[in-house]
Amino acid sequence: MSTEDNNTSDTVKATPTASAAAKPAAKPAKAALPPDPRVVAALANGETIKTALNQKLGVPIVVEVSASKAVPILIIDKAYWVQAVQFLRDDALQSYDYLRMFSGTDYPNYIEIAIHLVSRQHNTALYVKTRTERDLAVVPSLTGLFQGVNWEEREVYDLLGVHFEGHPDLRRIMMWEGWKGYPLRKDYSPFEDLDERGGNV
Amino acid sequence: MAELRSEEMVLNVGPQHPSTHGVFRLVVTLDGEQIVDADPVVGYLHRGTEKLAEDLQYTQIIPYTDRLDYLSSMLNNYALVHTIEYAMDLEVPARAEYLRVIVMELNRVASHLVFTGTYLLDLGAMSPFLYAFMERETIVELFNEICGARLTYNYMRVGGVKWDAPNGWLQKVRDFVLHMREKMRMYHNLISGNEIFLNRVKGIGVITQEDAINFAMSGINLRSTGINWDLRKNVPYGIYDQFDFNVIVAEHGDCLDRYWIHMKEIEESLKIVEQALDKISEGPVLGKVPKMIRVPAGEYYRGIEGSRGELGVYIVSDGKDKPYRLKLRRPSFVNLQILKKLLIGQNMANMIAILGAVDIVLGEVDG
Repeated sequence: MSTEDNNTSDTVKATPTASAAAKPAAKPAKAALPPDPRVVAALANGETIKTALNQKLGVPIVVEVSASKAVPILIIDKAYWVQAVQFLRDDALQSYDYLRMFSGTDYPNYIEIAIHLVSRQHNTALYVKTRTERDLAVVPSLTGLFQGVNWEEREVYDLLGVHFEGHPDLRRIMMWEGWKGYPLRKDYSPFEDLDERGGNV
Repeated sequence: MAELRSEEMVLNVGPQHPSTHGVFRLVVTLDGEQIVDADPVVGYLHRGTEKLAEDLQYTQIIPYTDRLDYLSSMLNNYALVHTIEYAMDLEVPARAEYLRVIVMELNRVASHLVFTGTYLLDLGAMSPFLYAFMERETIVELFNEICGARLTYNYMRVGGVKWDAPNGWLQKVRDFVLHMREKMRMYHNLISGNEIFLNRVKGIGVITQEDAINFAMSGINLRSTGINWDLRKNVPYGIYDQFDFNVIVAEHGDCLDRYWIHMKEIEESLKIVEQALDKISEGPVLGKVPKMIRVPAGEYYRGIEGSRGELGVYIVSDGKDKPYRLKLRRPSFVNLQILKKLLIGQNMANMIAILGAVDIVLGEVDG
């Protein structure tokens, strides 16, 4: 039942019987592991969707295809963000009509918006992402397609400072009005402007 | 005279109001008794769990998840450790998996009991609340025995659970299942057939299927509209594919259906607990896990069926021992968005009934 070969490096370290000679032998074996079949399948699947998307919109809008385990990841050009998601939702072959998750991540050079779509009909899942620059972070809003992202976009706006173009009600949701800065950004410091926020009395 | 209108009034409900079940503010604009606009204001309980998590090692994040949906902490624990295990392809010992399922389903029962009790309390019925907390107390005491806490359990670990069940604990759970079945009959006698209650909640707060999908609703709110979507069945995780249970689906999408599904799901959860008790065997409760948990670089999302809907954890890792970004998909937060749409056109007294049936926990709404 318990598989011991799963986390190789630490099992080797923990077992007292394993001699020092066993260690270097384990390393190359790990490096030579064949690619995860789930990832290979997901990549192929992602490429199919990429072709369909590019064909539909007539321009190469998919910047990159990768995979997380069995789920393909597509990175879409920001300018075609709404059209691409709309195509994925409405096209009969895709029908990703359920938006499970909406998130944003701050990277050193860009901010990434990630959504996780599910097709209930085909029982498949897909990550779709887009990137925007950090200084003037603007991304078209998906509220026209999925009303459920309304608050999610407000949260990302509040905590990461991404402006969603076309959002009907873009206000801070967690922090109060008048809060300065975007807490989930990596360069955010809670100690800046402390007096103005009434902290350093 | 047909155009006679009274002046509109803005009424502030909350943030401290018993029927909001926490600190939740609702600014309603009233025309007489009718609600013409509603603006939910959340964030009073925002603790920045996602930001805090970026400075914590994976095991250290587990206690923080307890405080999200504090009525079903076991499920929150599981959502996090399950995502980490999925990312690392870890194998979990069988006994740990069964213990997890037992405590999760018991926690679901406890959470649904609190819903039933508080919902009836909102509507003016005092006694179901007291009864519901009696059975919940038994569950909480069982949890106290297995992990030493009554509310914030911090029970699960990456690769298993922290403590094995103490002697005789499984038998106590078995006794509780039988006792709870008995009690369910009492609840149905007390509430489900009560005409005052039925007339009060039938046909109000109706959610359509299109809205439910468009608003990304999940859990009981989604199933009350007739959409058969339960992650335990549709996207099985853990060992849920081994259990025989039904997904309860209603058709009207109103408040009564949502109450009804809660009650039926308690019975289904008891079924799962019973099967898990039959199948559980001796063995280790914590698998072989590296001392320092490092999630391989990449991004991973797993959603589980929490007691309020899809509870998801999205980890962006750069291969270190702390997450680069941790996003919690909190079902109460997503489900609550539809409130404005449900309230407009209703009268003020129905507001409490509709808000209660959406079943939110403010610790989870605000993250």
